[in-house]
Amino acid sequence: MTQDSEWEPRLLGLLCKWCSYAGADLAGTGRKKYPANIRIIKVPCSGRIDPLLIVKALRLGFDGVLVSGCHPGDCHYQTGNYRARRRLAITRKFLEGMGVDPRRLRATWVSASESGKFVEVVSDLVKDLKEIGPNELFGGKKQPDAEKAKTGS
Amino acid sequence: MSYSAAKNSQMQKKLRQEAKALLEQGKVDCIIGYEPGSLKHATTPLITKDKAATERLVINPFIVNNLSNFLPYTKGRIGIVAKGCDSRSIVSLIQDNKVKREDLFILGVPCSGLIDVSKVEALVGKYRDEIDDISRQGDIITVKVGAAKKEFSLSQVMFDNCLACELPTPAEYDVLLGEPTSPIGAAAESAGKLDELKAMTAAQRWAFWQNEFRRCTRCYACRNVCPACYCKRCFVDETEPQWLAPMPQEPDNLMFQIIRNLHVSGRCTDCGECERTCPVNIPLRALTRDMYDIVDELFEFKSGMDTKTQPLLTAYEVDEAEDLVK
Ligand code: SF4
Ligand code: SF4
Repeated sequence: MTQDSEWEPRLLGLLCKWCSYAGADLAGTGRKKYPANIRIIKVPCSGRIDPLLIVKALRLGFDGVLVSGCHPGDCHYQTGNYRARRRLAITRKFLEGMGVDPRRLRATWVSASESGKFVEVVSDLVKDLKEIGPNELFGGKKQPDAEKAKTGS
Repeated sequence: MSYSAAKNSQMQKKLRQEAKALLEQGKVDCIIGYEPGSLKHATTPLITKDKAATERLVINPFIVNNLSNFLPYTKGRIGIVAKGCDSRSIVSLIQDNKVKREDLFILGVPCSGLIDVSKVEALVGKYRDEIDDISRQGDIITVKVGAAKKEFSLSQVMFDNCLACELPTPAEYDVLLGEPTSPIGAAAESAGKLDELKAMTAAQRWAFWQNEFRRCTRCYACRNVCPACYCKRCFVDETEPQWLAPMPQEPDNLMFQIIRNLHVSGRCTDCGECERTCPVNIPLRALTRDMYDIVDELFEFKSGMDTKTQPLLTAYEVDEAEDLVK
């Protein structure tokens, strides 16, 4: 895969409101530096994540998707993250079968106090994505502009 | 039990009697079954409240439609004809709370497999209308065109999903119309296709599917015939936000089918209706079969086996799939 040295992967983070979003926030307030490659969308619970959101992100040209929720047992709604895990396992395996590099979809648990882990996970995913190269699955080098990603159109 | 035309007509006779009695005694409000189609070697769904119409009901190797598709939209108590695969879709709908078991009277057909007329057409080089007769005795299919007669084996002419079927005798029924049957157990071409895909590199697989979905017309027939796709408003119809451009173009066509498969995971029984209905012959079963195997491999789950099982995506185990999470 040929890439110009300028290329930086872009990834979408789908973070649950109760744990991971707060964890990312803490990284900010704690002045921990995490790669600017991530765009974050706050979701009420990881259990809310329809695989549609993940595939749409790939369709829009995001190079990877990070899904993060509360640790098992800590879900604000008790079981949302367990359900999310099932769905994500299926999504990843199915996409892999169709020819998508499964590393483009990362799942993790980050609590509200784990800003360090958040930084680590994002950095690691960015590293992986640099290895895999740009997402051209849905015909595009085109990077999503912020507005498009917001309205989803 | 090996197939014979005589046994089949006995089954058909029993079906007509049962269906008529159900309507007469007011046990059901309507019957959903099959009647002869307007094309040769084909059937079409019959949905009726008229007891005289039960005389038109048929059972033959061409009863392809998965009639459970009509259940979520049909009111009242329903008598429904179900093959093994259909019964699994019905069970899945019961699990999903889409239909109530007590509202159904299931007329179970122990199935011996269905004949794929397009395979026959290809083998004899004639169109459906030019073929005079297709009949089955035991494991031999005899095709007559004029004075010419040709014989074929099951693996040559049965639908791929029938060749791969695990449960020809319905899992759930109120009356079984004949003796239980066992799986054909022959190798299906489509399994070959999946193996072929698995032997390819990831990039080749993706290119394969991109190419296939270039000709998708986004007619949504695959979704419309799918018993698991019962959403009153499908994501493709949503406008705020709009997930797909309405114009059929490869990237969105492909995205549509990926999402559809993910949405029906754990409910799709690999009945093959989507592939049969697709007007541009996209090998959709290579996707549904893969999903079927994935949920089995990851969660030891097979769709539509038992009404008491909790739907795959609403259930969980505390310790599972942890290797996914880093
Ligand atoms: S594709 Fe998804 S949203 Fe559309 S009908 Fe099927 S399950 Fe429902
Ligand atoms: S039936 Fe075939 S052409 Fe129609 S939407 Fe489905 S895949 Fe596309």
